[in-house]
Amino acid sequence: MPSNMNKPPSRRGFLDWIVALGTMITTVAVSIPGLMYLWPAAKGGGDENVEVEGASKMATGQGKTIQVGSQAVVVVRHRSGFKAFSAVCTHLGCLVKWDQSAKAFLCPCHAAIFDENGKVVSGPPPAPLPEFVVKEIGDKIFVSAT
Amino acid sequence: MGLGKTVKQFFDDRYDTKLAGELISKQAFKRLPPHTGWLHVLGSLSLLLFISQTITGIMLLIYYRPTPEAAHKSIQFITAEVQFGWLYRQIHAWGASIMILAVILHMTRTYFMGAYKKPRELTWVTGVILFILTITFGFTGYLLPWNQIAFWATTVGTESANKVPVIGDWLQYFLRGGDAVTGETLSRFFVVHVIILPWALTGVIVVHLFLMRMSNLATLERVGEEAPLKPEHGIPFFPVHVAKEGVVVMMMLAVLVTLSVVSPWEIGEPANALETPPHIKPEWYFLPSYQLLKYFEGPYGALMGIIGCSVPFVLLLLWPFLDRGKERHPKKRPIAVVFGLFGLLGAMFLGYLGHISETDQSFFGKRYHITLKGWPEPIDDSTDAAPPTH
Ligand code: FES
Repeated sequence: MPSNMNKPPSRRGFLDWIVALGTMITTVAVSIPGLMYLWPAAKGGGDENVEVEGASKMATGQGKTIQVGSQAVVVVRHRSGFKAFSAVCTHLGCLVKWDQSAKAFLCPCHAAIFDENGKVVSGPPPAPLPEFVVKEIGDKIFVSAT
Repeated sequence: MGLGKTVKQFFDDRYDTKLAGELISKQAFKRLPPHTGWLHVLGSLSLLLFISQTITGIMLLIYYRPTPEAAHKSIQFITAEVQFGWLYRQIHAWGASIMILAVILHMTRTYFMGAYKKPRELTWVTGVILFILTITFGFTGYLLPWNQIAFWATTVGTESANKVPVIGDWLQYFLRGGDAVTGETLSRFFVVHVIILPWALTGVIVVHLFLMRMSNLATLERVGEEAPLKPEHGIPFFPVHVAKEGVVVMMMLAVLVTLSVVSPWEIGEPANALETPPHIKPEWYFLPSYQLLKYFEGPYGALMGIIGCSVPFVLLLLWPFLDRGKERHPKKRPIAVVFGLFGLLGAMFLGYLGHISETDQSFFGKRYHITLKGWPEPIDDSTDAAPPTH
């Protein structure tokens, strides 16, 4: 056992220790609000129902990009009804476009192709396009994230 | 008593002006090693470009507005309405690219001349930090015009951040100031670009210069065997080296103004969050990483890509501690020279592939479509007219 363990701490050593501890606590106390300030203030959004303008005029096979909260979403009218997928490519965030003739979502950045169900057909994306919820109320179409 | 004398007297009465004068003249007339030549002005060139960027940056700040609604319009205003606004904007845009080039050339010179070796390891490390800060300057400044290409290059660039393990999502959210690139991102990038980075860079430059002056410039002699520099053999910093730097300043200004006139940067379309333009590519200094990232695929691809792109920077930072050989002369360090050339040419090659990827090119009279990964695929002109890439 080191011999100085048995020695009572000197007044000087104790004060040094208090000052060091105080400096540490002050640093932490000052930094935490600062870091919290820098953290983006949540804006929310994306869970509201957004109406697809002119949905009834869309032909079968046609697609349209709309904004739901802060997210871009592609709505496509199929024979069986409307489907909506996030337009944000799961690779690096470019916006995919619906290609009516290919019946696929194409990403302009690294040439990824997603099928009409949002599954990756080719290209670098690691995951399918997340699907959005479509509600038909009367002849109006609404899209939401949940 | 003349005014000059009165002023001198004022200071003499209050400060140890003799000491201050000695310090200044010691620095000004310091002798540099005899082989100090034109290649040794690349560091000062980087510094001068930083000063030019600061001045033109402050000038642009007078008219620039960092909001999504006003940013693009304010750049148009600077270019079209403000007298000589176009010139300062062009010099700032070109200056950024040339500053990065100057830093890379300066590092290349230091590397091949073995100047990073003991006792100058920390000068090198601070230099690598300056390099990283300089490209961060480029990345944050690129978004500020809020045009399509900048908006989407930043979207893709910050998207890569979320591939960092564990903290990726937070990091991306923090960088963007939210889920997507918005006005919050613009504000953040603006603050980092005009306040944080300039001061950070200034601080590290001061340390870098201080370290450099303390150990003087390296010679090509072996580590630990440098003969003391005889004053009569050295090159005086002032006026000889300073005169060279003066010449470089003139040339730099001439190049900047010429490029600004001959090849101006376009303002581009304003950012549109609902439309990604085709084939967005980052600035030339990010092209090697951009291309390298494409080769990492599969579930761990993104993570491996991030690691792959970080390795060169980590290697650069640690290099003086890894290469502990005593030789400085490039002819006596074949392995380090080959390694350096390999790294440099590799980066240039990847950058070139990134530049030509997803375009059609002609080589030796034949046309090829260059794929995403840079493979050339022959285009059969006889059967189909090559579809335009855009
Ligand atoms: S961002 Fe869509 S393929 Fe890369």
